[in-house]
Amino acid sequence: VTAPSLSRAEALRVIDAAAPDSPAVLSLGGIAREMLAVAGRKGNHFISLDAMGQTVSVALGLALGLPADFAGKVIALEGDGSLLMGLSVLSTVGHLKPSRLVVYILDNGVYLATGGQPTASADIDLVAIAHACSWRGARDVRTAEELAAATRWALETEGPVLIRVRISTVQLPASYFLEDPAILAEDFRRWLRSSVTSDPAPPRGVPGRDDNTPS
Amino acid sequence: VTDDARASEQDVLGQRSAAIIAGIEAINPDHVLHLASSTLKIVLSHFLNGPGARPGRRVFAMPREEEGVAIAAGLELAGARPVLIFQDNGIGNLLTSLLTLAQPYHLPLLAIVSRRGGLGEYNSMIHTISERTEALLDAAGVRWFQLDARTPVHRWADEIERAWAFARATHRPVFVLVNLMGS
Repeated sequence: VTAPSLSRAEALRVIDAAAPDSPAVLSLGGIAREMLAVAGRKGNHFISLDAMGQTVSVALGLALGLPADFAGKVIALEGDGSLLMGLSVLSTVGHLKPSRLVVYILDNGVYLATGGQPTASADIDLVAIAHACSWRGARDVRTAEELAAATRWALETEGPVLIRVRISTVQLPASYFLEDPAILAEDFRRWLRSSVTSDPAPPRGVPGRDDNTPS
Repeated sequence: VTDDARASEQDVLGQRSAAIIAGIEAINPDHVLHLASSTLKIVLSHFLNGPGARPGRRVFAMPREEEGVAIAAGLELAGARPVLIFQDNGIGNLLTSLLTLAQPYHLPLLAIVSRRGGLGEYNSMIHTISERTEALLDAAGVRWFQLDARTPVHRWADEIERAWAFARATHRPVFVLVNLMGS
């Protein structure tokens, strides 16, 4: 198997171009910084500054909690190292089956932000794990074309779906992002209120807001 | 331990469990995230297969407390009403998630946390972490309230509801530590 040629920045460009207005949770480190570099600061991006291992879980909560009339997708942009820190969430997602959830694993096989120490991902079949956990779909892609096609499929398919994107270790020069997390959360909430729901200030916790609430 | 003492313990467990259920129901959560707990068995049964298992409410297990905190963070961002229920011996699992996500992002989570390791405890080891719950939470700067024999059980439901409101008013996680074992 040849080394992946797709860079993380290229992958992020493809995903952002295909789903420019979907609520997305960005994992810490390079994913957040490079998305900021290629797409700028966007209201639909919830940026995790740390909380390693929890990106998919936050996106899962969003997918479950958004109003029932929200027809779009919720995107998680996660790395292999962070996913492996909280791998149990794949079972939780498979159990709850949020139809809106699309999870990308940008897999470069290393903890790149800390110097490139290897993760265990090279020996792990993440697509098989997703299938084993009863996700509705999962794909493994290596090129920009495959990623674009998989993204079109993911946006049109009932979730949860997982796309493992094999990426290189090429990094985009990107500066540290030092914004106050309380502001990040409030900006994201404001965007959700104005963009996802028709009500600019929806009441908290109206029952039945999920697309697959048990009855 | 005499039969009378055992019966008394069961009475206390039943009364306090009912008060906790009433407090959580007053909040009307649309998502209840829980972890296994023998002392919370009555409470969890209410939400899993009792009157609390109702349309419009999702009740599910979190494999680890830290995962529950992150899912609840997403739910809070979306405007939902999640409540977390777990034991205090899981506090260590969630501190990083709490202090890198919920706390700094000002997300008002409410957790109902069962106390273990005190008088009446049957596990010979669990006190090694449970006795340090308050110290761990204090060190982490997590706001908590305690419900035990010092608070009349008829006040518990109101206190839980007030803790929910307090979390929202102060934009941060709030834990309610509940002693179901009699102390």
